[in-house]
Amino acid sequence: MDDLTMLRDLGGQLEHEPPATLARQRQRLLAPPPRRVRGWTMLALAAAVTALVAVIPTVIPTVIPTVDLDGSAARPAPDGPLNVLLVGTDSESGSPRFRTGRGTRTDTMILLHLAADRKKATVLNIPRDSIVDIPPCLSTAGTNLPARTDMINQAYATGGQACVLNTVESTTRIRVDHLVELDFSAFEGMVDALGGVEVSLPRPVDDLKTKLKLPAGRHLLNGDQALGYVRLRNYGDGSDLSRIKRQQGFMKALVKKAAGQLTDPVRLAAFLGAATKSIKTDPSLDVGTMSAILSSLTELKPGAITYTTVPTRPHPEDRNRLQWLPGPAERLFAPLRK
Amino acid sequence: MTAPPTAPTSDGALIAESRADPEAFATLFDRYSGMLYRYVSRRLGPEVAEDLVGETFLVAFARRKHYDVAYADARPWLFGIATKLISRHRRTEAARYRALLRSPAEVIVESPANRVAAGVTAQASRPALARALTELSARDRDVLLLIAWSDLSYEEVARALDIPIGTVRSRLNRARRKVRAKFGDLNPMHEEE
Repeated sequence: MDDLTMLRDLGGQLEHEPPATLARQRQRLLAPPPRRVRGWTMLALAAAVTALVAVIPTVIPTVIPTVDLDGSAARPAPDGPLNVLLVGTDSESGSPRFRTGRGTRTDTMILLHLAADRKKATVLNIPRDSIVDIPPCLSTAGTNLPARTDMINQAYATGGQACVLNTVESTTRIRVDHLVELDFSAFEGMVDALGGVEVSLPRPVDDLKTKLKLPAGRHLLNGDQALGYVRLRNYGDGSDLSRIKRQQGFMKALVKKAAGQLTDPVRLAAFLGAATKSIKTDPSLDVGTMSAILSSLTELKPGAITYTTVPTRPHPEDRNRLQWLPGPAERLFAPLRK
Repeated sequence: MTAPPTAPTSDGALIAESRADPEAFATLFDRYSGMLYRYVSRRLGPEVAEDLVGETFLVAFARRKHYDVAYADARPWLFGIATKLISRHRRTEAARYRALLRSPAEVIVESPANRVAAGVTAQASRPALARALTELSARDRDVLLLIAWSDLSYEEVARALDIPIGTVRSRLNRARRKVRAKFGDLNPMHEEE
């Protein structure tokens, strides 16, 4: 054996296989590295708040009645794994241009799973066009609604927050600890507080409904434009799934931007102000609980958030609706149960 | 969401493309991050390697405008950047080789396959190699390890380190002489080479 051969053998013994976490380094490429002012705490706070509230455009005014989550059942203290259902709606309130006059529907539904050690989080998008079994609910008017099979966003339209929560719990068999809603205007305010968020458009946009008109290329979107961007329907292939992809991409950009920006206390205050102004939570998620959850997230880095969507195929009875793929969906749900 | 890395675009073309479309650069990461990680993990261990690979691509990204796209293969460029960054971790590297001296029997043997392939001779030669690596000058070590542990040719190592190919040869020869001398210290049988 010559010296080079032996050296190669030694190298082989010293070598390590690339870990899955190496992918995080990829993200550094396309975003400026976060400034570390007060370590990861600020960053984690920003990421957590953003993950909790951002991108999920909702239009709930502060007046909406609180959700009664199956009465007296004690919700867990903020240790152990935690599932938060984030609901965005299009409703009568919020931005006037989105008012449809047809009642409130959920626009976006996301299940946020925080691991027990708070070092990892999963953001699970639930496509609103999913056909699911909706359990019996109380309507917002107080009448009984029978169980039925319908689009998941109909659960909100007819039964409000409690019904959408029950539907998500019964269809995924994932226990939901908390529910958070947020207003479109909150979303706009958050983006503006960050000084805008940059996106890359593969094709030009000229959308009458959202009044968004931009050439292809990179753009720094203000709150109003960002809202149009995440709500765009006839862009890409026009499907709800492509919109979800776009929203997740935006969410990542937002988290990254937040990580770099919110080290400035003035900006942080503006951001949190916008974020908390019009979010609506279930009664057990009071300010104390929420800040306890947030402060337990100091270990959570933006790169440790996994973004995924419930796997679906076109529904056999209506190609414009989606049917969950039982096997892959189950594999996705299982780790989120406790 | 990204195109599969199997697209037959050359690295040079990708880098040219990334000047207008920064996201194209991510494909370069998909191609070579694993390879760089393995190399860096040998020299500095897994803890440092991950961050250093990220750093390497950040530096490369920032300098992509200066890349001569006539070179289709970007590996020498990336290894060159990684080598510069590794030099900031001289203590970590030295400690890693010293650890081989302290506990020759139980140091990081990754898999049984490696153990078998390496064989007894390599096991026995380990302390000599480790001592040689710690005692080499940084320049000689860079050349020796690029030749031994990456798949780069002499020409590519010259490009990576931005030195003439003759210098690669002379540094390599000197380094190998020193390594063999260490074997000599332990075992005269190796003198024959």
